[in-house]
Amino acid sequence: MTHLRMDQLLALRDAGSEPGSAEAGSHIAECAACAAELERLHQRVARMRALPGLRPPRDRFAEVALLVRGERRQARLRRLGVGAMALAASMALIVIGRDVFTPDVARASDQLTATMAESAALEQALQALRPDQRVTDAYTARVAASLEDRIADLDRRLSAAQSGGTPAAEAELLGLWRERVGLMDALVDVHVTRAEQVGL
Amino acid sequence: MPRALAVDSYLIDDAESVIARVRAGDPAALEVLYRSFETPVYNVARRICRTVEDAEDVLQETFLEVFRSIGQYRGEGSLWGWVRQVAASKALMRLRRNKYRDTDELHDEVHAFRREDTPLRMDLEAALERLPEISRAVVWLHDVEGYTHEEIAAMMGKTPSFSKSQLARAHVKLRRWLGEEAVA
Repeated sequence: MTHLRMDQLLALRDAGSEPGSAEAGSHIAECAACAAELERLHQRVARMRALPGLRPPRDRFAEVALLVRGERRQARLRRLGVGAMALAASMALIVIGRDVFTPDVARASDQLTATMAESAALEQALQALRPDQRVTDAYTARVAASLEDRIADLDRRLSAAQSGGTPAAEAELLGLWRERVGLMDALVDVHVTRAEQVGL
Repeated sequence: MPRALAVDSYLIDDAESVIARVRAGDPAALEVLYRSFETPVYNVARRICRTVEDAEDVLQETFLEVFRSIGQYRGEGSLWGWVRQVAASKALMRLRRNKYRDTDELHDEVHAFRREDTPLRMDLEAALERLPEISRAVVWLHDVEGYTHEEIAAMMGKTPSFSKSQLARAHVKLRRWLGEEAVA
């Protein structure tokens, strides 16, 4: 007796979607070996479905969120018709965001350079929005002023840390520059949102 | 007919609200969506891709695409089904991009496994890992994720017959490597 091939067993298992499964069905009713083979196929698939879930080794959310934010800002700036400089700065953010999280750029000094560049890109985006030339409502002005005060305070701390020259200073600098990027990011968002509401 | 077993296995509380907030750009909603599907997306990616690094890249690409395209999700079918479709497509694109050597012989050279005519018994994880990429992708997408051959063929740019043939070849190998061949 010729036993069923694997493709025939699979057709039988997926009966209804496969032609020719009726013939295989009548064979399997009479052939214990093929019936056992079909059962093993079912069990193998059940074991595959029962394999434990694999978890990602690293948390990539911060990276994804940064990239999404950069892309969305770019789209908003484009809608606002902001100049090429702001778009370039926004694009730089996306590129920098990718680099900062790349394992190849793991050294603190490289991360520091990338974070400083990110801060500079945000400064460019902010300048392109010309926030000082637009009428701003009281609430937006208050939020922006608060952020600007915190950035100014941070700049004083950065200046002090940069003049320290100690070996531990690099790690501290990186933390401060990251904080600055976060505040600059928020400030740009405030002005982009305002510009969208009232027009440039 | 294979069933889409995992389609409804991952649910988000108040999914409509989360989706609306993601569309509006709410960072907290992005994180809710990410955390809800992070593990199942990675699981699909890792089962299809050869390396952890590729699977991580697919994870990131999937969520970037999901966040970009969330406006296109109309609520037809489960959200997980939609996210998984993006993940599977990204993983298959990664396979095509990497152009891994996928013939059995070359694959065996790369991994320097024992000769196929030597009796052996592997565990299921090792046997799946040993399969050529395309065969592994087909067996996982069809038998575990519940895609039809037509759907797999569309994602791979191949024919349903190609998908069926890959599935049969994969099961022949798995049966042998798992020591499940009947003694004649």
